[in-house]
Amino acid sequence: METYKRVEFPDAHNSECEIASRDELSAYIDKELPAWKRHLIRRHLKKCDVCANDVQRLQHTDNFLRHAGDVDVSDGFLDSVMTRVCEVVQHQRQQESLWTRIRRGVEVSLGWLPPLSTLSGKLRYNIRTRSPVYISILTFAVFTMVGVTLYQPSGDKFGEEVRELDSEKLISFEVIQQEPPKRLLTTYLQPK
Amino acid sequence: MFVSDEDLMMKCRKGDRGAFELLVRRYQNPLINYIHRFIDDYHRAEDLSQETFLRVFKSASRYKPTASFKSWLYTIATNLCRNEVRNRSRRNTCFLEELVEEGEDVYHTEIMRDTRYLPDVLLEKKEQRQIIRKALTQLPDNQRIALTLVTYQDLRYEEVAEILGCSVGAVKALIHRARQKMKKLLIKAGIGES
Repeated sequence: METYKRVEFPDAHNSECEIASRDELSAYIDKELPAWKRHLIRRHLKKCDVCANDVQRLQHTDNFLRHAGDVDVSDGFLDSVMTRVCEVVQHQRQQESLWTRIRRGVEVSLGWLPPLSTLSGKLRYNIRTRSPVYISILTFAVFTMVGVTLYQPSGDKFGEEVRELDSEKLISFEVIQQEPPKRLLTTYLQPK
Repeated sequence: MFVSDEDLMMKCRKGDRGAFELLVRRYQNPLINYIHRFIDDYHRAEDLSQETFLRVFKSASRYKPTASFKSWLYTIATNLCRNEVRNRSRRNTCFLEELVEEGEDVYHTEIMRDTRYLPDVLLEKKEQRQIIRKALTQLPDNQRIALTLVTYQDLRYEEVAEILGCSVGAVKALIHRARQKMKKLLIKAGIGES
């Protein structure tokens, strides 16, 4: 039997090394570190015996674990999975309502099965899960449309409003024109 | 031509059973081995593998190609295994370790002592595998999952982090601790101490 050797190494690494923490040594042997860090650790391992021994032991454990071997899948596994899948599909079809079957038949015959079914599925899901939001949005939309349709301002009133606005503008323009020019600082400083 | 798992899954979403069969062929072996290492029961591992594939098929419509299929598959399998272990503990199903009296080494059982005298290489290999499997079952769940996925399923740390729902740093720590503990357990098992 292949042996898993117990090797005694100095147990002087209670404190973490500057470069390599213990977790990173495992990641190092799994090649899960970025290139620059691997390079740093490789250089560190040349100098630090404790870490080098640690890596060696971890590697040894990993190699040993890989010898565990695999179990073989029984011959009928795939067939039994596919049989169960067929049963699931049949069960799902039986659960489908008559309307769903008719709609599917029509969609398949028209050749637009994926988009329409996806759309209707999404719509149904949204209505089921977010019905309060949908109802409030729909209510708001209906009220807005009704309001816009019913509001019809008369032509005369509208014309008067425009005329009033124009005169207001003119008045304000005149007021601005009639303001006295600001006196400059020099006019105050001039000797009387 | 090689078709990626994600493409096969997209075909499967559209009801292509051939694509699903190809996925089962690809993953049946690694999946059964993964579950077997987790729960240490071959027949139950087959059942759970079937259940995993069925769940994949049923929830194919919810699959989004942004997620890796492999991670998704192993996440489903891991959840099933966790449930199995939980149910076992509720039913008080005894593991081999639990049958051994407290303080006694699990590997020094009658079985191990008997096989020691068998010269056949195959049997020795089998014994070695058995010891490793038993040692794996002694690890805490997360450590076992992380170590099994990295060592035997060749998953990246990121994928393991996704499956366990933790950070990559946490996966690093889990794997390191798992290796350290395995080392101690294997030495304790006394297999060929020199």
